[in-house]
Amino acid sequence: MFDHVISELKNLFSAGEISGTEARLRFVTLPQNQAVKAVKYLNEKQGYRHLVLLTAVDYIEQGQFQLTYLLHNPENRTDIGVRVLIDRENATMESAHTLWPTIATYQRELREMFGIQFPGSPGVDDDFILEGWRGLPPYRRDFDTKAFAESFFPQREGRGTNDPAAFMKEKLYPNE
Amino acid sequence: MNKQGVFSLEGDRSKYPQPGADGKPEIDLSSHKYMKMWQGPNHPGITGNMSVELTVCADEVVEAKTHVGYLHRGFEKLMERRKYIQNFPLVCRIAVPEPDYNELNYATAIEKLTGIEVPEKGLWLRTLVAEMARLQGYLMWLGGMAGAVGFGTVGQWSNYLRDLILDRFEELTGARIYHIYILPGGVRNDLPEGFADRMEANLKEIEGFMKDINRVLFNNYVYKKRTVGIGYIDPAWIYPYGIVGPNARAAGSKNDVRKDSPYVKYPELDFGVNTATDSDIYTRSVLRYNELLTDVDLIRQILSKMPKEGDFIAKLPNMMNLTIPAGETYVRSECTRGEYGYYMVSDGSGYPRRVNVRGPSYTHAVALLEKMLVNANIADVAQIMVSLHTYPPEIER
Amino acid sequence: MGTTKDILSPFLVWKQFFRKPVTIKEPLKRQGADRYRGFHINDIQECIGCGTCESICENQAIDLVAVAGIDTKSGDSGLRPKVDYGRCCWCALCVDVCTTGSLKLTNVFTWVDTDPDQFRYIPGVDAKPWDNATKGYKKAASLELYPLERIPMQHLHPEERHDSFIEIIKGFSKEEALREADRCVACGICTATCPAHMGIPEYIKAIREDNVEEGLRIMYETNPLPEICGRICTHKCETVCSVGHRGDPLSIRWLKRYLADQVPASAYASVLKSDSIEKNNRKVAIIGAGPAGLSAAYYLGMMGYQITVFEKLSAAGGMMRFGIPEYRLPYDQIDKDINYILSLGVEIKYGVSVGKDITLEQLEKEYDAVFAATGLHDGRSTRIPGTNHSGVYQSIELLRKITLGEPIEVAEKIVVIGGGNVAMDITRSLARMQRQKYGKVQLIATSLETEDIMPADREEVVEAREEGAIIYPGWGPREIIVENDRIKGLKVVQCLSVFDEQKRFSPKFDESNENFFEADMVVESIGQGANLSYIPASYFEQLEKDHRGRVLVDTLTFQTKLPWLFMGGDIIEGPDVIHGIANGHKAAKGIDQYLNANREEKQ
Repeated sequence: MFDHVISELKNLFSAGEISGTEARLRFVTLPQNQAVKAVKYLNEKQGYRHLVLLTAVDYIEQGQFQLTYLLHNPENRTDIGVRVLIDRENATMESAHTLWPTIATYQRELREMFGIQFPGSPGVDDDFILEGWRGLPPYRRDFDTKAFAESFFPQREGRGTNDPAAFMKEKLYPNE
Repeated sequence: MNKQGVFSLEGDRSKYPQPGADGKPEIDLSSHKYMKMWQGPNHPGITGNMSVELTVCADEVVEAKTHVGYLHRGFEKLMERRKYIQNFPLVCRIAVPEPDYNELNYATAIEKLTGIEVPEKGLWLRTLVAEMARLQGYLMWLGGMAGAVGFGTVGQWSNYLRDLILDRFEELTGARIYHIYILPGGVRNDLPEGFADRMEANLKEIEGFMKDINRVLFNNYVYKKRTVGIGYIDPAWIYPYGIVGPNARAAGSKNDVRKDSPYVKYPELDFGVNTATDSDIYTRSVLRYNELLTDVDLIRQILSKMPKEGDFIAKLPNMMNLTIPAGETYVRSECTRGEYGYYMVSDGSGYPRRVNVRGPSYTHAVALLEKMLVNANIADVAQIMVSLHTYPPEIER
Repeated sequence: MGTTKDILSPFLVWKQFFRKPVTIKEPLKRQGADRYRGFHINDIQECIGCGTCESICENQAIDLVAVAGIDTKSGDSGLRPKVDYGRCCWCALCVDVCTTGSLKLTNVFTWVDTDPDQFRYIPGVDAKPWDNATKGYKKAASLELYPLERIPMQHLHPEERHDSFIEIIKGFSKEEALREADRCVACGICTATCPAHMGIPEYIKAIREDNVEEGLRIMYETNPLPEICGRICTHKCETVCSVGHRGDPLSIRWLKRYLADQVPASAYASVLKSDSIEKNNRKVAIIGAGPAGLSAAYYLGMMGYQITVFEKLSAAGGMMRFGIPEYRLPYDQIDKDINYILSLGVEIKYGVSVGKDITLEQLEKEYDAVFAATGLHDGRSTRIPGTNHSGVYQSIELLRKITLGEPIEVAEKIVVIGGGNVAMDITRSLARMQRQKYGKVQLIATSLETEDIMPADREEVVEAREEGAIIYPGWGPREIIVENDRIKGLKVVQCLSVFDEQKRFSPKFDESNENFFEADMVVESIGQGANLSYIPASYFEQLEKDHRGRVLVDTLTFQTKLPWLFMGGDIIEGPDVIHGIANGHKAAKGIDQYLNANREEKQ
């Protein structure tokens, strides 16, 4: 089902790793400078017209963001996830708003939540969900939600718990 | 192309500044020709905690901008620091009126990545709660839709009917709203004794009311005046704007995840895809009404076809220690608003690397709504919005 | 559109006007559904405070708190969950995961109070109106968030093993070990019960993460004989395992064995970082190379002490080698653990009997401290008539001879007296030898205790039967009948009870119910005693003793009243391997403390 389209992606856009074991879903890694071209090709030439989602995964250990463009083909009911690994420092990606106007929303959210720039995307710099937020983009892995919550919200007095093993040592064999 | 309604005026674009490079008109507020108006976040005509910033010229909308963020709790991020099993109380809160689709998608994503298999009865029970969720979701929407045109009575009725379904949810799952019923490998409990009979009584009552609602709402001169020809969605927008579900089906699309990418027990159920072509508020509302009746029928089918005996949950590995091999998947299902999807990425640890929730409202309430509201009459904003059936929490997650 | 019908149609629903209202009036007396998830209840007698509820709670709504009147004891942390309803979302995952099934939710959902702090309480301790509610959410029987069934251990079938001494238990494969380790809920209740307080959840986690080297390191922190313990430990930990409350406890012992089996002996030094020990010049003598002595030798060796172990027999291991048959604990596995201890520079002098070949006074002079762990090697006799016959043997002597390869008498019909693990060891050893010699087994093992209270491990009894031995529990030996200087058999009477109400040993018999077991040979296996004759009387007088004459030591350091003399192992506590190991470890720390304090004094 995917043989043709994947070989085309390999020929035309030097597609890298292919993964996915489900019958109707494949993920394809593409180089950053080929990705939007490939997505356009899939949309216009291969029938992958439905943009399911665009999102990012933070691989902080490798210093990379993975962008995933998930496209759906309404004719043969298959999905292709186009993966693009981009540099985490000064993360910038080409905007795809000319293909789907609605992708501007996704790009706006990614700019806000991950700090990924999409130059030229309409309204991309407008606040979306986090009005007035000026800190670290919160969906990055290095943003610690627990530390934020603990410093931002008052903690309830009188809470305290015990680890069973440590408590039993304390009670039953404190000096061993 | 657009249909002309009696009170709906097709705006004359030439009166307003031409759109700039970013597609938005350049509006000079100091000209006093325009006014900013906020619909929401507290407004009876808004669907939940969301607001639309309207720029109006007289009673015509020149520009609309959706504002979300009133509900943001960072669910996707919170999931990354919880074990897979611990996220079940969390995911159900992403779409409050239909928590089951979150549970279903999240559990299915885990099952796909781990290979846990759901027993037959578990699949049937999942189908049941999925349809019950759709039914009560449509009932809730019906109240909202009638309310948006000022017909609160229908809202009272449909909320009462929704409560009946919530009663069934309560006895099946132990909770009315946040069911937390679906777990990886199946569901948490079997049907209680006599459930099918009580459900049948409820379905009969719903059908009875639906006849009246059909008479009082859809065959109502006033309702028609306020909805026919208004809020038109061009079929050409479906893919550019990511339109799914009833909004797309009312514009001629036949997309229905239950048919296109079947999940749980839908292949064994007999139902058709409701479609229409007129694509205005009225068409969408009648289409949802028909979907509602289809759901009633489906629940009957499910209860009669479901095996009485059998395991409803698989033998699970220790969920406290569950690690998922590195990989990614996408799971979709058809909720009341259309395709509801979960994209899950695992890095081999006991915690998800990333979960992304793709709610239909994400496209409907932002890009599409902003487009549809331009040139609309202020009085129609509420209907247009409600006719898209949006849930703000799934936008901001 | 806009037809007359559309104007008239809405009026058709006037009948709704006559409907009965569906709203519920205040106060809401509505009951929650039968499985509604309302407020918590907890059976605090059932609850063991394992904290699994706390660890699954994504809202951190549960704290484990100490409760007055509930004591911390083996198998019960004494803690109980306290729920904060400011955070609880009533998901009931705590109920699903509860190891004992004590925690439930009621269907009560209304609770009004003006003080927010009221909404924090300990279910089952703080009285609430819903404490006796019977309805509410309970875990469905088929829903388990962790597997309750053990991964079965592969072992030799009776016919594959009943005539040889090859090891019965095959050990877990990696796949089996991972699945068994997966069952652990990591509550840590077991650690307190283990005499050595091993980091059990930690090394099980290492198995799950397939990090066997880390697992080995964790084990050696508290137990330097994992191959041995992984086979024959009495696994008291498993008796308190929280998963065992509703299912099978974790196979902790087999998991330990799995870990030790995975690391080859050659890798130990680098894994355990013993290749860089800083030696000091202080010397410690250890009497007895059993588990306690070896354990002390290991930990003292790791601290840099120069260790000399004096062992009476020709090989190290003590009871582990000379008491436990090879089919349970193969000699090469004993050697693996012991050789690693020897690789630290520990010296063992074999065939040296303290008190005979060298005196305790000499050790006192030549060494900075002495640790005596000589164990229980003298078999006790029932002292019934006939026991002085040459065909009556002590099990412990026979087992020692079997290990040493010395010939022993194997009669055609044998009776073993005793119901402990040693009795089962000799029963099963002799059964094998009978089968080798005669091709059949005619062996009866009889014990005072009835089957339900027999001290032997259950599987020992089962396997002994599988191998052809007949186990007759509940009989008290009365006389060994000897005719013409040949043993004819054992006369027994029915034993009604073994202990009195104060749990003291005080057997009661029904003399009218007699039985006779035919035999040519009788083996007594009713326990072993210590032989402390190597301690000169002048020293022995100075030691503190209890009313039964057992030597008392400091429970933390195992130091006796003679500051240089430390004692441990079966002569002090047990008898079993894991207590010996724990004693040795504590004594090592005690000796280190003592010698460091001494040196500071001298300086």
